Amino acid sequence: MKDSVKMIAFLLILSSILAAALTAVEAVTKPRITRNEELKIKRNVLAALGVACDEAARESTFDATVRVVEKGGRKFYVTADKTVAFSIQGAGLWGPIQGILAVAPDGAAVKGITIVHQEETPGLGSRIAEAAYLAGFQGKRLLPRIVITAEGAAATDTEVDGITGATLSCQAFGRILNSEAAACLPMVKEVQQ
Amino acid sequence: MNLRRLLGKERYKTLLKGVWTEHPISSMCLGICSALAVSNKVENAIAMGAGVTFVLIATAVMVSSLRKMIPARGRMITYMVTIASFVIVVDKFLKAYFPVISETMGPYVGLIITNCILMGRAEAFYARNPLGLSLVDAVANGIAYSYTLTGIAVVREVLGFGTLLGMRVMPAGWENWVVLSLAPGAFFLLGLFLWITRTLAGVEPPREG
Repeated sequence: MKDSVKMIAFLLILSSILAAALTAVEAVTKPRITRNEELKIKRNVLAALGVACDEAARESTFDATVRVVEKGGRKFYVTADKTVAFSIQGAGLWGPIQGILAVAPDGAAVKGITIVHQEETPGLGSRIAEAAYLAGFQGKRLLPRIVITAEGAAATDTEVDGITGATLSCQAFGRILNSEAAACLPMVKEVQQ
Repeated sequence: MNLRRLLGKERYKTLLKGVWTEHPISSMCLGICSALAVSNKVENAIAMGAGVTFVLIATAVMVSSLRKMIPARGRMITYMVTIASFVIVVDKFLKAYFPVISETMGPYVGLIITNCILMGRAEAFYARNPLGLSLVDAVANGIAYSYTLTGIAVVREVLGFGTLLGMRVMPAGWENWVVLSLAPGAFFLLGLFLWITRTLAGVEPPREG
């Protein structure tokens, strides 16, 4: 009995000290972590919008070219020529996929896509996040819907190549694009005003 | 040798054991999972090695200095709480100061908690030895783990991606050995590593029966 009291007391004290230390670490690193996440979103928004900028000038470029509009609980990033970017997310094959989709001024064609976060199979499904693959979406039409075909089979302007070996990840990404486009394209029209 | 005189006989022996004769990965087969998972890029291997070394040192300090107070039945949970706390520190540090590395390493930073080297060394060594010796052991095991991961990562990155630390080293026509960048490649290389180092260090295979 005495043993267990001693054990509980020891563990309580140890955990309290460590918890206090962790709280301090959290407090010190929090501002930097939040800032890193914001920078990451800004970098991806600019990349999706096709705005070239170097690393150092990223924030000023972002502030100068992008107007942030909140609508329906989402953030839309609007440029002067009415290209609109917004974040998309949904279930990939293994985990959530998050990205930024930029829509051309006509409100239907893809201007650019970046992937912010994915957990697909490294070396196979993870290839959907490669710039070379995402470039294949540029100019494709989100309406009525994007169709992912076999690699090299895309013919029309709503068809996009899949990747052999990453078929399911590509299909999942296509589904995310279609459902997010369906949800957001009507709002894109409004924020363009 | 100078190092030997500098550390004293016992500490020198501990160091040698940790980095070579009782190498955590090849001799004790601890930390295999992360050695397989995080050895595809040199950058990640170095970050992982540094992270594990830091947590090892911190755990050694905590466990060794508290070793007379830790209740016998609460040992495991003490190690767990200690290790978990320091891993969170590493995770936050990477997220704040090295966001790119933190992102590519993903869940593996958190998984340092389950790295058997930490639990293994805490139970086998730090809970029984004084602070100085435990520190030497932590550094030795950290070095052993880091050079193994980095060594495997150099081969995997150069042959599997054609790059070293992200810089192109292979000629333009190089066909990447994709298998090395995937999980099976790690098994091949780790197997080779175990074979070579165990033979060189004279580790006896376990006898049957």
